[in-house]
Amino acid sequence: MRGFPTRLLAANALITAMLWAGFVAVVAIVAVGIGLFGTLGRSVWEPASQFVRFYALFFGIALVREWMPLYLAHGRTRRLFGLHGGITIALFAPFLAVLAALAYLVERGAYALADVPQNLDRRHLFTDPLQVHLVLAEYSLQYLAWIAAGALVGAAFYRWEGGGLLVIPLGVVIVALGEAATGDALPLIGERLGLALPQIPAVAALGAALLGAALTWMIVRDVPVRNRA
Amino acid sequence: MRVEVEDLVLRYGDVTALDGMSFSLEGGKIYGLLGRNGSGKTSLMSVLAAFRKQTAGRVSVGGRPVFENGEAVRDIALIRDTGEAVTIGTAEDALYFAEWLRPSWDSEYAESLMELFKLPRKKNVKEMSKGQRSAMGVVVGLASRAPLTMFDESYLGMDAPSRQAFYDALLADYIAHPRTIILSTHLIEEVSGLFEEVVIIHEGKVLVHEESEALLSRGVSVTGQAAHVDTFTAGLRVLGERQLGPTKSAMVYGELDAARRRKAVEAGLELGPINMQDLFIHLTGGSS
Repeated sequence: MRGFPTRLLAANALITAMLWAGFVAVVAIVAVGIGLFGTLGRSVWEPASQFVRFYALFFGIALVREWMPLYLAHGRTRRLFGLHGGITIALFAPFLAVLAALAYLVERGAYALADVPQNLDRRHLFTDPLQVHLVLAEYSLQYLAWIAAGALVGAAFYRWEGGGLLVIPLGVVIVALGEAATGDALPLIGERLGLALPQIPAVAALGAALLGAALTWMIVRDVPVRNRA
Repeated sequence: MRVEVEDLVLRYGDVTALDGMSFSLEGGKIYGLLGRNGSGKTSLMSVLAAFRKQTAGRVSVGGRPVFENGEAVRDIALIRDTGEAVTIGTAEDALYFAEWLRPSWDSEYAESLMELFKLPRKKNVKEMSKGQRSAMGVVVGLASRAPLTMFDESYLGMDAPSRQAFYDALLADYIAHPRTIILSTHLIEEVSGLFEEVVIIHEGKVLVHEESEALLSRGVSVTGQAAHVDTFTAGLRVLGERQLGPTKSAMVYGELDAARRRKAVEAGLELGPINMQDLFIHLTGGSS
């Protein structure tokens, strides 16, 4: 172990891939159900993929709450954790995006066999899931923002416990910037409340993620390891 | 691994946990760190391990300041019952990451300790019993083979046979791989035999730092017929007494001169080393 977080990435990639396979199976069952008892004319993965953002959020939280204390307990510095954490976020977000793109492709194949169109409801950087490079770009940027927001909120709660509540609005801003840059509404809640986000350049999502990472580092660079489990 | 602490201050808001503490440990020994609840033991070890940044003062390990110093902290292991070193998935996962993060990690030794404490490899550490979690901490702490290894009461959750197995393993590994070990404990009588030096801290300051033998020579236990013990100890500073039937044992603070020792022998009394726990209670202000 030196400059690259091999085991940190490998362990998380493995467990995520297994969870992804299970989640895709559940989505497939839902799609079959809709096909049997209703009309299947649009992508089921598109709305289902919103849950992956929350997985990314909790991954960011766990990165600080679980992994940082482990690093420090094993004689590593906050600086090294910051470096490894940054690399992990930068690589894990595209990894999640690859899984999201794969799910669209699996869905496209299944729909083609059943002669069902894979229509999309939301605004995206892509118009067809076969535009894989754009799918990867969109989801990578989104997940980057969500993981960074999770890391920021996780760091704030780890350091200040209940005081971390004050940082949640900042996390929401980071997530909203990421969503506005790549989509049209905050997932789950935004659509129900009819809160449309303005369209902003995609690069804003990257800026939001960098902002989240920078704020996280400011919180953890001299954070004490907590005395309570 | 020499440890130097100079004018160390640590505050949590208005509370001063370490109040200008200074001492140095030459290293290569097993040290006992004793103190009452809230005396600052955990705070001190947290600063030594760079878990926490001091408010003021200097701390160096092996001649290097520790906070955010990668060269220094890789040689330091602190195991606490909060479990940050082990609560990451299953026991197997904990060992997998310890091996990756610790340059001095000994996998074979870790495996043998897992066998010794009969720990289930596939079980999530967070779901283990307190005793098993404590044993996981012991495994990771010992197998880290860090030149400065500290256990902060992290083995108290283990049952008596497991604690004895820990003491035996610690001593055997210390002899095979000499290093600096600091044990913080409330089980003073149980562990005191391992200590080569003792540091007692009280209200954030060092109260005593002595070799164990020198510390124990501060007092004497006097055992014999109750009446004779009472007569002999009259006028002496008695820290504690125990009586079983007609036999009584009294812990006396202060050295006995040759004349008094002779007098004790003449009265049929047996003189022995003082109990470290009684001495500790006395030095830190008596029982409360």
